[in-house]
Amino acid sequence: MAKTNYMRLKGSQNLRLRLLLSTLSSTPIIIDDIRADDTWPGLRPHEISLLRLIERPLIVLGLFGKKPLSIRLKGITNDSKDPSVDTFRSTTLQILKRFGVPAEGLELKIESRGVPPKGGGEVILSVPIVRDSLTAVNWIDEGMVKRIRGVSFSTRVSVQFENTVIHSSRGIFNRLLPDVHIFTDHKAGVQAGNSPGYGVSLVAETTSGCYISADTVVSYARKEETADMEDDEKMDLKPPEDVGVEIASALLGEIEQGGVVDSTHQGLLFLLCAFCPQDVSKIRVGKLSPYGIETLRHIRDFLGVKFAIKPDPSTGTVILKCVGCGLKNLSRKVS
Amino acid sequence: MAAIGEEQSHKAHRSRQAGPKKKGKASKKKKGQNSEDNKNQSQNPKAFAFRSNVKAKRLQSRAVEKEQRKLHIPTIDRSTGDPAPYVVVVQGPPKVGKSLLIKCLVKHYTKHNLPDVRGPITVVSGKQRRVQFVECPNDINAMIDCAKFADLALLLVDGSYGFEMETFEFLNLMQAQGFPRIMGVLTHLDKFKDVKKLRKTKQRLKHRFWTETKEGTKLFYLSGLIHGKYHKREVHNLARFISVMKFPPLSFRGSHPYVLADRFEDITPPEKVQGDKKCDRNVIIYGYLRGCNLKKGTKVHIAGVGDYGLAGITSLADPCPLPSAAKKKGLRDKEKLFYAPMSGVGDLLYDKDAVYININDHFVQFSKGADENGGTASQGKSRDVGVELVKSLQNTKYSIDEKLEKSFINLFGRKLDNLEVDASVAEHQSCKDDEGVGSDEESGDDDMDDPGSSDDDVNVEGNGTMETQADDASDDEQEDLRGNFEEQLEFHNGRIRKKAIFGNEENEADEQVSDEDGGDDDGEDDNGEVDEETSGSDYSEDDETDEDMEDGGMGNAARWRESLLDRTVSRKNTNLMQLVYGTSTSKLAPDMSEQQRSSDDESEDDEFFRPKGEGSKPSQIADSWICTSTFLWKQKFTEGVDNGNVDIRDDETDEATEPKTERNKANEGSFFEKLKEEIELRKQMNLAELNDLDEATRIEIEGFRTGTYVRLEIHAVPYEMVEYFDPCHPILVGGISLGEDNVGYMQAKIKRHRWHKKVLKTRDPIIVSTGWRRYQTTPVYAIEDRNGRHRMLKYTPEHMHCLAMFWGPLSPPKTGIIAVQNLTNNQASFRITATGDILEFNHATKIVKKIKLVGHPCKIYKKTALIKGMFTSDLEIARFEGAQVQTTSKIRGQVKKAAKDVIGGEKSKKGAMSEEGIARCTFEDKILMSDLVFLRAWTQVDVPRFFTPLTTALQPRDRTWKGMKTVAELRRELNLPVPVNKDSVYKPIERKPRKFNPLVIPKSLQAELPFASKPKDIPKQRRKPLESKRAVVIEPHERRTLTLIQHLQRMRHDKEKKRKQKEQEKRKALEAQKAKEELISKKRQREERRDRYREQEKLKKKMRRTAGD
Repeated sequence: MAKTNYMRLKGSQNLRLRLLLSTLSSTPIIIDDIRADDTWPGLRPHEISLLRLIERPLIVLGLFGKKPLSIRLKGITNDSKDPSVDTFRSTTLQILKRFGVPAEGLELKIESRGVPPKGGGEVILSVPIVRDSLTAVNWIDEGMVKRIRGVSFSTRVSVQFENTVIHSSRGIFNRLLPDVHIFTDHKAGVQAGNSPGYGVSLVAETTSGCYISADTVVSYARKEETADMEDDEKMDLKPPEDVGVEIASALLGEIEQGGVVDSTHQGLLFLLCAFCPQDVSKIRVGKLSPYGIETLRHIRDFLGVKFAIKPDPSTGTVILKCVGCGLKNLSRKVS
Repeated sequence: MAAIGEEQSHKAHRSRQAGPKKKGKASKKKKGQNSEDNKNQSQNPKAFAFRSNVKAKRLQSRAVEKEQRKLHIPTIDRSTGDPAPYVVVVQGPPKVGKSLLIKCLVKHYTKHNLPDVRGPITVVSGKQRRVQFVECPNDINAMIDCAKFADLALLLVDGSYGFEMETFEFLNLMQAQGFPRIMGVLTHLDKFKDVKKLRKTKQRLKHRFWTETKEGTKLFYLSGLIHGKYHKREVHNLARFISVMKFPPLSFRGSHPYVLADRFEDITPPEKVQGDKKCDRNVIIYGYLRGCNLKKGTKVHIAGVGDYGLAGITSLADPCPLPSAAKKKGLRDKEKLFYAPMSGVGDLLYDKDAVYININDHFVQFSKGADENGGTASQGKSRDVGVELVKSLQNTKYSIDEKLEKSFINLFGRKLDNLEVDASVAEHQSCKDDEGVGSDEESGDDDMDDPGSSDDDVNVEGNGTMETQADDASDDEQEDLRGNFEEQLEFHNGRIRKKAIFGNEENEADEQVSDEDGGDDDGEDDNGEVDEETSGSDYSEDDETDEDMEDGGMGNAARWRESLLDRTVSRKNTNLMQLVYGTSTSKLAPDMSEQQRSSDDESEDDEFFRPKGEGSKPSQIADSWICTSTFLWKQKFTEGVDNGNVDIRDDETDEATEPKTERNKANEGSFFEKLKEEIELRKQMNLAELNDLDEATRIEIEGFRTGTYVRLEIHAVPYEMVEYFDPCHPILVGGISLGEDNVGYMQAKIKRHRWHKKVLKTRDPIIVSTGWRRYQTTPVYAIEDRNGRHRMLKYTPEHMHCLAMFWGPLSPPKTGIIAVQNLTNNQASFRITATGDILEFNHATKIVKKIKLVGHPCKIYKKTALIKGMFTSDLEIARFEGAQVQTTSKIRGQVKKAAKDVIGGEKSKKGAMSEEGIARCTFEDKILMSDLVFLRAWTQVDVPRFFTPLTTALQPRDRTWKGMKTVAELRRELNLPVPVNKDSVYKPIERKPRKFNPLVIPKSLQAELPFASKPKDIPKQRRKPLESKRAVVIEPHERRTLTLIQHLQRMRHDKEKKRKQKEQEKRKALEAQKAKEELISKKRQREERRDRYREQEKLKKKMRRTAGD
């Protein structure tokens, strides 16, 4: 056999996505120039261990494993950057089910929560394996929002914060829709992790079974980031009323954008479409998020799957079509 | 193994001597004989109605089960449009008439005489069907490959000789590929003079064929030759059968694209070849795409050569198209096309070192001279003087212009690239051009019909050179063209084209890369909108050129990117602008000047640096929501505030009703029907969605469709492939899907073929064929024990499946696998050694074998012993702490620890024991010094990480490929004896009777023992006692007394018995009496109790009442 041909990539972006795609497409990769111009070149501490908490890579990887995956993840469960565990539960898993992932065995159990800077959360993620491959979807009907659900949480702070958040966000939704329920999940003691914080995750469910989510967390930021950029607004946390209004507006913003998933889940949606068998998948998303665009590019590079992208000016959404790469769960043992 | 060279003797089959099987056969025969009688007798239909309920039920369930067993999971057929020609492989042992059959069939279809059968021959056989005939060479490698692409196999058998091994080998090869259709053809039947013998032979062969395949498989008889051809009628019949054949979908082929090359060209620049004859070559392979869609960037495996990336794919006009759909019966003569470039009938003729372009005319066979040094000398036996003359003329011309011609070929490759730019417009024409007809406007495919094209090769070459000039000139024009045909260019772009574009623009691109990299570093995951440069431009040339073109101005932007841009623009126009500002700015018209783009980028960038968790700027949205009218929002929700409840209910009812209707549907049709329907639906949807798109995008998205005629460009192929190219050996190019180019361990379930004479030995190299590949590897055989352990086997079981673990390029589970050991063609024996399929692949093996560690005690305490010789170091002992051990006398024990301190103590005493690896073990009883101690364990077996792909296409075809040799072969070659372990030699076992020493109890101990336990010292008697010498006889008196006593005892026993019986009876009666009385008393007691309770209750009530009052 010839020498291994590596795919050469540059930069630190989308490290997880690249690792995922290279694993599933079994393409060897070399990533150069990771933060070459930075003060501290190379990988950050959190990137050195391959899998961080609540990574979408893991859930997609788990689908194509040899045996069903069950893993206990520790660290930060709710963060202002990545989607929180609640969103993961309410939305991400629902998206997977659309693609023919068996519902049993697919779950996320929150043992305890952890917010930045210290984390201390713990969840158990279990992912089943797909029997053969995913199923292609035709998912362009976004429907209308019929109910809004949500989970708010607070760790090491008073429940009152949650109530205020819920109250203020309900204030916005109630003018549009009566079916709004936001549950509180106050954690205390060991279950509350190591640092104080509170937040909320909202999900809008539409008549056609789409789940659109938005979430936020209020907590002290992690140290290395504060050192980088936010020294002026340091320790300046928002009051809960504003948080409630903001998150409600954020959800409304996501709904406004249209599409069958919200902007944070676009990447995952594209990935799943690309992994489908060689059938046409058709999906509708709102404005393409930068992460989604990046994902699309990587999918093309690794899997050779291109999407036909067509804007739908009447609704301001984008319709994407693709033929999957026909990825099969080859590692599964045939009996 | 004592008998390595000899055949293994098998137990012969013994037919049943008794029992139901024997009876069954006999009675069946009888039944057949007097079926007439039965018919007469069994007129009463009632007699055969079910008499037993159970039997009826059983029969019914059996019928249902049979029906279910017929069903297969429906598979989706993703191919659309005209299917590729079906491959009909004609296979058989040598000298059986394969070529003649193909010639006859081609003659039947096209009315043309085929001079020579080389390579695939495509024929339009009907309005809807094309057929590609391939002759399978008599070589196991070619047979393996042929089985991989055959849709139908015609197995030719010499009727006068009988079946040969090749036929059965081929059957087995096909079985591993999912069993394509087969038809047997018997030839050489004219050698039989005796009609009866002929009939008998036919019958016999047919039945033999059926046992190997299945009852009712078609076997054709070609009875003889007329004018050197088979009977027209028989060929006609055979053709009819071929044309109505239906082909089942095969799973491996359905999921992998593959191309059977019907044209092969070397396009290496001639300067390079002249410089180094053995330089790597660039080749082009033409053929119909089969299997599934082929995407750009797919890797391919060329059978017998290796894995290569595709440097370019282009779809060409079909050289042998189906007739246009018109309402008429049958085919017109003009539509009876056929295409066989390798056979020399098309337009190209292949020789060893050159390709000749041949304007072919069968009626005037002058251009045959071209391949005089080829194999067609036998064709023209009697030549005219004129013909001779023309041929000689032709010959001289070729030799002069040889170099020119070479250059033509090269240019032709380039030319194709350019022409493909406007492929969508004039693909057909381009195809014509490369066939060299040039000015002729008639389609190149029909050229066997037009005798006018007999103008010779000078003309062609002239054309070629002219083309080159035009080529150079048109290079510039190409630039302009690109503007118009940008979409085609994106994927049709040839390699050379791109290189020309590079130059000074490259630097710019690089600069930009660095710029943008610097700018983006902060924003970890979110980099800018269209700055693809950051996402690694180094790895693929495609990208680079894309960027170049974009930077260069416009035009050639990737379509994908373009649409992205479009979208961002439109997005800006529609929702984003509206949402944020409430007014639309019309300054962003969708023209794509560089400046515009950069401004786009900036604005995008602004947006992308927002925190990710929050969809878009929330405060702004909130504002907008407050400011703008709420009705905009309400569109997105199911209801307004006021009538909310009603709507919700509606939703719920909807939800509730939906599944119900679905369920109803499910009940109507069976599960199977539903599945089929679903698949049909999906297929229709795919078609509809893909047909929406324009051609270029469609190809980008789904790849080239099956059935298209494609041109695959492959670079850096070893020169041997060109050097030893033989058109008679088909070239198979198979696509490799994701993950299949990796190397790893595979586990297969295999079974030694029952006709292979020996069992297979672990680690003996075998040649494995799975997927598209053939490679030699060294498997380790194993079998799964009841507890899931994979135990290594030294040899495969004789008649059972076993697991084989081997290293090699991965192929997906469920793929068939064929193992061969011997590739020589001149051996009579059956060459297929094993068959099976892949179970799974793994990156680690877990095969274990037994290991027995033996030691002996060096010191024994009570139940503890120090064991020596079992381990070599203390580290080993640490590994085995707690392991079970056993002595030969079955005393069980356990390994405790390394016996260091004890030895150390002894050491100080003796100063001799200084070795490591002495273990302290405890046993359930004291062991003896003479005992051996065993430790039974399992040890991991390593599977050798070895495989070599078979490069049979890179060597002369008649030479057998040589790979790794087996140990036995090496021994035979080097004349080495089989090493014999002395301990393993069987010897007669001698067991001496064991002598035990007498038990001696010390005097002091004896004194303390109680008398009973004391050994009694009985003095030895000199003479035997009298009792042992004499017999004792009873006296008559004694006898009488004895009988009397016996009688008396007997009487007493009798009396006792009677008394006991009487007593028992009495007791029984008494018990019955007692029971009766008890019953009565119980009854009475109950009555009493009831009365008492009633009284009490009354009293209580009264009390309560009084208390209540």
